[in-house]
Amino acid sequence: MPSAPSIASRSRPRFSWIDVLVLAAVAGFAAFVAYRVNDVLNYHWHWSRIAVYLVRWDPERGVWIANLLLQGFFTTLRLAIWGIFWAAVLGLVMGIFRTSRSPAPRFAAFLYVGLVRNTPPLVFIFIFYFFISSQLVPLLGLESIVATASPATAAAIGFLCGEPKLFVNFLTGLMCLALFEGAYVTEIVRAGIESIERGQWEAGGALGLSRGQLLRLIVLPQAFRRILPPLAGQFISLIKTSSIVSLISIQELTFSAGEVAVTTSAVFEVWMTVAAMYLGICYPCSVAFARLERRFNSRGGS
Amino acid sequence: MNGIHRMLLVALALMIAFSVQPRAQDTRQQLSSSSVIEEIKKRGVLRVGLSTFVPWSMRDTKGELIGFEIDVANKVAADMGVKTEFVPTAWDGIIPALLAGKFDVIISGMSITPQRNLTVNFTIPYAHSGQQMTANKKLAGNFKSLEQFNDPGVTITCRRGTSTCVAAQKVFPKVTLRQFDDEAQCLQEVLNGNAYAVITSAPKPKMWTLDHPDVLFMPSEENLTKSDEAFAVRKGDPDAINFFDNWILFNTSNGWLAERHDYWFKGNAWKDMVAKQ
Repeated sequence: MPSAPSIASRSRPRFSWIDVLVLAAVAGFAAFVAYRVNDVLNYHWHWSRIAVYLVRWDPERGVWIANLLLQGFFTTLRLAIWGIFWAAVLGLVMGIFRTSRSPAPRFAAFLYVGLVRNTPPLVFIFIFYFFISSQLVPLLGLESIVATASPATAAAIGFLCGEPKLFVNFLTGLMCLALFEGAYVTEIVRAGIESIERGQWEAGGALGLSRGQLLRLIVLPQAFRRILPPLAGQFISLIKTSSIVSLISIQELTFSAGEVAVTTSAVFEVWMTVAAMYLGICYPCSVAFARLERRFNSRGGS
Repeated sequence: MNGIHRMLLVALALMIAFSVQPRAQDTRQQLSSSSVIEEIKKRGVLRVGLSTFVPWSMRDTKGELIGFEIDVANKVAADMGVKTEFVPTAWDGIIPALLAGKFDVIISGMSITPQRNLTVNFTIPYAHSGQQMTANKKLAGNFKSLEQFNDPGVTITCRRGTSTCVAAQKVFPKVTLRQFDDEAQCLQEVLNGNAYAVITSAPKPKMWTLDHPDVLFMPSEENLTKSDEAFAVRKGDPDAINFFDNWILFNTSNGWLAERHDYWFKGNAWKDMVAKQ
């Protein structure tokens, strides 16, 4: 039996006097803020000062190249994409561990979630950066990877992770973010798995499926649809949390913005531009997730 | 005791005697081979930790680092025959980052204070700065003397973790301090009229007063306090201290440091490199 389409997608927007009132109030508020900022704040706007930090003209090669702010933007974009990927992988693995029948994986995942979720993000990042990463980086030989990379490898690193010079810097920030957000994704995955009715497990067991096949073929696909909304929220929150890694001197957008703000004293211009850039990353992300949700919902079934 | 036993005994005694002497040399060799100077020479790169501080280090329009610190660090590296690598770091975590080995030396206009000296070693000073103050005309324009700032009702901003906050506390013990993570935020508080004044290293207050003559004024043309800036290295490294000390001494005597200091702190020639107004 085909499922009913959602109510929201069916009705067409109808303007009533309430909508007009709300729109007028919002417009009025925006105008008031703009007036107060201009009149009372006593700030000389110098937008041209930061324009050169976005893109600059390179006379030698005759092209426009990205300057500090755009470079930071791309680093944040890379942090966001890789961070979402690794947090998802870590969260999936740990979520399955949490619902495992053997005590060892269950306890390991429980410990991981308990330690990470109960630490404030800033404290976690400082602890990770100053204690853990200074042990991990020499152990994994990360610095030598960059030093001994062939030109092809260096170019690949440059595209995927940003300038090879900042490779270790980038990886440290990425590890921080993925470990931190992974704990939250773990709980979301666990909730999704546990929300699947007992009947599904039993039916699968009756068909002779092993636990691994049950998870892969029956439970996880259904759970995925259910956890998509909170997952989307968590990933968008990851993009914004990535600005905290600027405090451990990862050269992403917030850090570069701070440097530009101090150098040019154009504080408001820089931070407003940066807010617009974060919006430019987060909004397409939420649109993509909304589209994903609609595709799964329209497929029908529970 | 027959002949062979005696020879073995003598051989054993000689071995013990010789093993004691190399151990004394061992310690000295160990000390100098574990110095950061050797690490730098082997690596071929001098890693310098710094933080954005106008005009000590800033970003020019190409996105490259320029400033007094950059010139100093590049000259040190050139004299050592190695390349420089700058590690921009948030000021709050710059000493922990040095101790964690993220870079070799801090060349970032760090003032010598006894508290910092307990965790890091300082070289002799390579620059002398001082704290200056710029105040909001509307709030503090009618103050007749500096003493009037020394009041709990007066708010002064300073950059967290720097010696400017210590200086502010020393000069105005009763004042209310508000700390921010960088100078731009401190200045904005004063421009908005939420704080009476901002105290920070010279020559920034003078530059800001020239930038906003209608809002700011300088209550005193002289520096409030004096400070000495030096390189910071990890503890337990006498070779590094000796090398940097003598580099600073050498370049102070031949006037190079003074010339560079005047270029960045007194002149305006570098303004165009940073941004068109």
